Parts: sequence; structure tokens; C-alpha cells
Amino acid sequence: MAASMVVGSRRVWDGCRRGQRVLRLLRGLCSGGQRPATDGETHFGFQTVSESEKSEKVYQVFENVAKKYDLMNDSMSLGIHRLWKDNLLHQMNPYPGSQLLDVAGGTGDIAFRFINYVRSQRERRIQQQLRSHQNLSWQEITKLYHEEDHQSLGGSHVVVCDINKEMLKVGKKKSQRLGYSKGLSWVLGDAEELPFNNDSFDIYTIAFGIRNVTHIDQALQEAYRVLKPGGRFLCLEFSHVNNSFISSLYDLYSFQVIPVLGEVIAGDWKSYQYLVESIRRFPSQVEFKEMIEDAGFLKVDYQNLGSGIVAIHSGFKL
Amino acid sequence: MQALPGLRLLTRLPRWGQAARAAPARAAARRAWCSAAESEDKAGGAQGQQRPPFDPGLLEILACPLSKKPLRYEESTNELINEELGIAYPITDGIPNMIPQAARMIGKEKQEEEPGQT
Repeated sequence: MAASMVVGSRRVWDGCRRGQRVLRLLRGLCSGGQRPATDGETHFGFQTVSESEKSEKVYQVFENVAKKYDLMNDSMSLGIHRLWKDNLLHQMNPYPGSQLLDVAGGTGDIAFRFINYVRSQRERRIQQQLRSHQNLSWQEITKLYHEEDHQSLGGSHVVVCDINKEMLKVGKKKSQRLGYSKGLSWVLGDAEELPFNNDSFDIYTIAFGIRNVTHIDQALQEAYRVLKPGGRFLCLEFSHVNNSFISSLYDLYSFQVIPVLGEVIAGDWKSYQYLVESIRRFPSQVEFKEMIEDAGFLKVDYQNLGSGIVAIHSGFKL
Repeated sequence: MQALPGLRLLTRLPRWGQAARAAPARAAARRAWCSAAESEDKAGGAQGQQRPPFDPGLLEILACPLSKKPLRYEESTNELINEELGIAYPITDGIPNMIPQAARMIGKEKQEEEPGQT
């Protein structure tokens, strides 16, 4: 606690000189006098705010909901979000040895699923190997089992990057509780300015995070930069419903039920109001596909899940 | 007056004597658990300060978000340093904080520079 106060006061000094984004870590919105000149306005749900305000407000939203994030996800989507994420992993179909970057992956849902998937793939391969080599000597069999011990993931690694410290803390605790230790790293970083070298990752995923980014095109360009040639971009995000009947039911549910659930379970109406509004403000499937193509990705495609409530966009860096 | 024992049986409450005996035992157990948890925390904290909580393998992947150049891990201050720009990124709880605004300026000749322009 004392250490964080020292760091916090140092950050205040830096913040005064450079910008006040760091002050959100200590208290809420700071006074307007020290704000740098804002270039443009953007949306925060249905409100119009300046771009610097949006990042702060989004940070506060996730800071508030971090501890109840998983519980709220289950309640709001009635557990269906798990199926969506499983679907994403099936589409991703990672092989043992892939390097994954999960951006805005705070609580680690995608990362844990990736590790499980890769581990089960590897086990299946080893079993196949054992079955096909019927006449192995004892030494060879033990060697195969030893390999499994050392590299149960086959060299795969996932880096979870999030801009929000609280979400990462929740994720790290969850990983300790569930027993994921190898092949997992946590980094605090901004999706618009990723702290990674060019051509570092095989797969880039961002699940339910990109609509919270202030400059989506910058995030997409960064995604292109850090992917290896041949790498895949995958985005799982709420999108536009094409069926009018389902759309009206969905609107009713979103605006009448979700903020109430947010108040009852997490004690936070406004954050969940922001959530449902931000979903409406996000571009449609086709528009977002064009944005991804603008960043340089090829073979961009999307798949609707739940007739458009959620869509998985995929692109390749070729 | 005579109904009281009957009521106690009905509600299955422990007798006063038992409750009085149980409470100090429970409190003692709670105190022991709390002190055990505290000492665990302290041991974990001390361990965290002694052993590097930062995985050096991450160093190969990480780069400065501003200049995209490699970083150096400084064990004494537990920071990642970009020599060129003279900034240091802190590491808290083993998680490197790579947000430019959270970085600290180091080096007197670089003090007037503002690498955090976004």
C-alpha cells in the first residue's frame, strides 16, 4: 500500500508535466485546467465526450466492474458468453507452439481457453504417436513422457495485455486459483501503443475490448504491426443484429434488464448503461470489416453468432 | 420460565454454557487463522521482494511502446529501462506497466524532453 502511494505521488508529478491520464489511477477525473488540447470528440455510449475523457471514463468503468466482471458476464449473457469464447477458440484452432497476444484480455478467459486447447491438442498428438509406434523401446517411451513434462504446451505462450490494472489483477488471481502457471504472461499496455516488437505473434485476439478503444484504427494498425507475416487477427465483439424481431427483443433486454442486473449484482448502474450504449455505437459488421482491411489485413471475414448479437471478425497479415 | 428449556430444544440453540465455552475457542481459532494468513502474506511479500517476480523471458517480447526499441531490466529499482529515451517503466506485482504516462524520466539531460506525446 505504501509502495503504491509513493509510485502514485511520482505519477502525479509526471502527470502534471505530461498529461493527466495517470491521475485516473489516484482519483477520478482531474481538473480541466491541466488537460492537454483535445483534438476531437468521440462517443462514450450515447454521450459525446472529448477523446481524452473517453479513455479515462472507460478506465473507470472497468476499474469499478473488475471484481464482478466474470459474474456479471455470466448473469447478463446467461452463460452464453462461454459458448461464444469457445467458438472463437475453435475458429482459431491454435497448434502447439503458437504465440498468442490477447489484448484487452484482462480476466484471462481467452488465455485460459487457449492453454487448455493447446494442451489437449498436444496430449492427443502424443497419444497418437504412442499408438502408431507399437514397437517402441522403454527408453523411447519414457523420453516421450519426459517431453510432455517439460513442454506440455509444446512451446505455446500467451501474453495477456490490458490497459486496466484492476482487470489484470483479477485475471492473475484467477490464474493462480485455477492453476495456470506456465506459458502465461501479464502486461499492462495500451492497445493503441502496444509494447511489443514487430512480427512477434502468430495470433492476435481482442474479445469484447475493441469497442472500448478510443482510436480503433490505431489499435488495428498496432495489431498488424505485432503480428508475424501469416499471422491471424481475431476479434470477438458485439455487433448489429440483422433480424428485426430479435433486434427488438435484444434492445428490450439490453436497456431494461442489463443495467438493473448491473445495479443489483455489481452495484453499478452507469457502467452497464455504458456497456449497452457502447454496443449500439460500434460499427456494423461490414463497416468494421472495412476498417480491418484498411489496416492492411487480407482475407477479412466475419461470422455472426446469435444472428448478429456477436460477431467474430478474422483477418490475415499476408 | 419452564418453557425456556423446551424452547431451546425446539430451536436447537446451544446452551448458554456451551456457547460461552465455544466463543473463546472460536475467537482463538480465528486469531490463529488471521495470524497465519498475515504471516503467509509477509512471507510471500518478502519472497516477492527477494526473488525477481518478473519473468526475464518477457524481455525478448517487450519493447518500449513509444520507440519500439528493446528494454533493459534493472533489478535494483525493478524497472524496465529505455536508455535511448531515458525512461523507466515500473513493474508492480510482477506485471510490467508499459503505459507511457506511467513511465518515469531518468537522466538529467533528458528532463526537458517529453516522450509521452499522444
